[in-house]
Amino acid sequence: MSDLISQDAVIASLKANSKKQVIQELSERAAGLVGLPARDIFDHLLQRERLGSTGIGQGVAIPHAKLPTLDRLFGMFARLDKPIDFDAIDDEQVDLVFLLLAPEAAGADHLKALARIARLMREPGTAQKLRASHDAASIYAVLNRASEPNAA
Amino acid sequence: MLDPLTIVLLVASGLLVLAVLTSLIAYRIGAPLLLVFLAFGLAVGEDGLGIEFDNAPVAFFIGSVALALILFDSGFNTRLETVARASWPALVLATLGVLLTTGLVGVVTHYLSGLSWPASFLLGAIISSTDAAAVFFLLRVGGLKLRERVRATLEVESGANDPMAVFLTITLVEMIVSGAGRDQAFLDFAGIFFAQIGLGAVMGLLGGWLIAQAINRVQLEPGLYPVMVIGLALLLFAVTSQIGGSGFLAAYIGGLMSGNFGTRSMPMLRRFQDGVSWLCQIGMFLMLGLLATPSGFGLIWVQGLFIAFFLILIGRPIAVWLCLLPFGFKREETAFISWVGLRGAVSILLAITPMMAGIPVGQAFFNIAFIVVLTSLVVQGWTIRPMARWLGILVPPEIGPVEKVELELPGAARHELVVYRITENSPVGTGERIPRWARPSLIVRAGRSLRPHEAGRLQVGDLVYIFAAPRYIRLLDRLFAGRVEITDTDAEFFGDFAFPGTTSLGDIARQYNLEVDDTDAEKTVAELLIQRYGEDIHRGDRLTLGQVELIVRDVTDDNRVARVGVSLAPQERAARLPLFQNLEEITTNLRARLAGRRARNGHPKKAPSPAAADRSSQPKEAE
Repeated sequence: MSDLISQDAVIASLKANSKKQVIQELSERAAGLVGLPARDIFDHLLQRERLGSTGIGQGVAIPHAKLPTLDRLFGMFARLDKPIDFDAIDDEQVDLVFLLLAPEAAGADHLKALARIARLMREPGTAQKLRASHDAASIYAVLNRASEPNAA
Repeated sequence: MLDPLTIVLLVASGLLVLAVLTSLIAYRIGAPLLLVFLAFGLAVGEDGLGIEFDNAPVAFFIGSVALALILFDSGFNTRLETVARASWPALVLATLGVLLTTGLVGVVTHYLSGLSWPASFLLGAIISSTDAAAVFFLLRVGGLKLRERVRATLEVESGANDPMAVFLTITLVEMIVSGAGRDQAFLDFAGIFFAQIGLGAVMGLLGGWLIAQAINRVQLEPGLYPVMVIGLALLLFAVTSQIGGSGFLAAYIGGLMSGNFGTRSMPMLRRFQDGVSWLCQIGMFLMLGLLATPSGFGLIWVQGLFIAFFLILIGRPIAVWLCLLPFGFKREETAFISWVGLRGAVSILLAITPMMAGIPVGQAFFNIAFIVVLTSLVVQGWTIRPMARWLGILVPPEIGPVEKVELELPGAARHELVVYRITENSPVGTGERIPRWARPSLIVRAGRSLRPHEAGRLQVGDLVYIFAAPRYIRLLDRLFAGRVEITDTDAEFFGDFAFPGTTSLGDIARQYNLEVDDTDAEKTVAELLIQRYGEDIHRGDRLTLGQVELIVRDVTDDNRVARVGVSLAPQERAARLPLFQNLEEITTNLRARLAGRRARNGHPKKAPSPAAADRSSQPKEAE
């Protein structure tokens, strides 16, 4: 995961009351890190959410979008203060959010990265470990350790 | 004073009852039931307790009748939509597939044992067909919910390939016995083949339709319907065989027709035939166990096991793969269909024919067929469920378990009486109201019968009696079903993200680089899937578009696609199976390889391999 996400893109405790607010918060923080207007990121993410929620179930959501002006894959993770309604596939509330932004031309790399994130978040035990971690450094460690193929 | 007839009856009935009781053990250890009956037959046979039975003609007679009834019942329980859905692949498997298997096994036998060509092919034909009863049994009783197209193909194949195998075997036996010349034999062969199949099919259609009419029109004592149907089924079998058609094919098609066009007393008929099917099944496997004397096998064990494993691991997979090439099955689907090539009663029955005809290798063939059936039941029968899970063929359940009893009402009532037990996690159990049209007529709580207004709020553990029209029962099931346990593999099954069926394909294509042309881009995903699969669409049906796979996730009661899953990395599952590519994949790969070669020749400098960059994300094995 370290090629997708850096530790300063990990938020250990995000306060938000709605799906829209989460996406807004994340867009603003991501904007600072990738150097693009927050409004742009927000619009693209929301456009994707309108097609169908990115809540994949069991408290996890993976909002994502392709941005024409981005130059690399960019990942960001947030653990929410309290679970919120996200229209997720299983109707459960969401408290773990992994955001992925991709350049318009990323193609197969974008899909692979998304599939990797989805698999990581579904892996038994990962979600519990993330919920049990309370600072960015330990969350970052969980994300990276779990994605190594040899970590049992 | 013991009458010999009484002794036969005593032994037979005793065996039957004991065999049924052994099934209790089978559930404990998860062994395929048919294997248990076979083992039981062996245990009391010549090698065990010493009951001697080696009357081949009697065994053949009993076996034929049993097989005809089993096939009739298979047809009776197969819906026409299933047949329609799988007719082409199943038909090719049932004809060409049987021929290919016969040929492959024949060639191996010829070089392995030095038998003559006709004799080698005879052995191939004997073990060429999958067993309808075994396949049905393991797929249905095991409660496996398979991808619809796979299930339909397997079911129809297993019902339709027996007649072909019977025909091949009997023709080869006759050829060997009469020693007929090649050319002459071939002409006869083709003539007999078309007579058998043609007459069998026509008689089946006609007879089955007549049986359905009899069920619907003749007024009888209710208990007589099943007897009449069984009688007519056997009559159909006998008449068709007598006039030179395939009685087995007629029995299967007859069952199909009567089961689909009959309307009256159907639940009772099904239950009765279920019992008859069991009886036939047990009888056949017991008989096989009694007939076989493994202690006398000697070296045959080695040859038998070799042929069995050749059939399971090479012969059937090749035959299935070749037959399914043009039908666009996914690799894991082809692999699973190869794996469910269960051998059973039919092979045993066919193995008796050379013995009856007095062919010298008859006994050896019987022994080999025995070993093949045994191996197939142990190796394949026991592993169907894990294999289905590993290959991702199982469709996760839509609703949780339901505790219910359905009762058919006498007369021409359009309603059924359904009894549900309210379970803790069901919507009703957690307080959801029962809709007005489904108000219970009676509630039984702690042994007391209560009227709805006496009972008040429903409680967990109550039995509710509801009169409902059959088409509403699915809705009711949902109200009374427990929670569905979603496992990790289930989540994987439906892909990473979900969209409503009304989402435009173009929108999804823009997000995930799908390859769609402009006309498709204007459609909704649901429309595209319906266009591909027709109206008969099921959960778990899937469609590959470029690097992404679309999976039907929810289907409404009126057969509309409500939700579609998108799997972003379907190739990772396929990567487990390098074999079994279908025609489309093969051409795509070839084209890609050719293009790659051309590109390399043009630009000698090689681009860095994308595989190297992605090595950190090897797919995690699910089990």
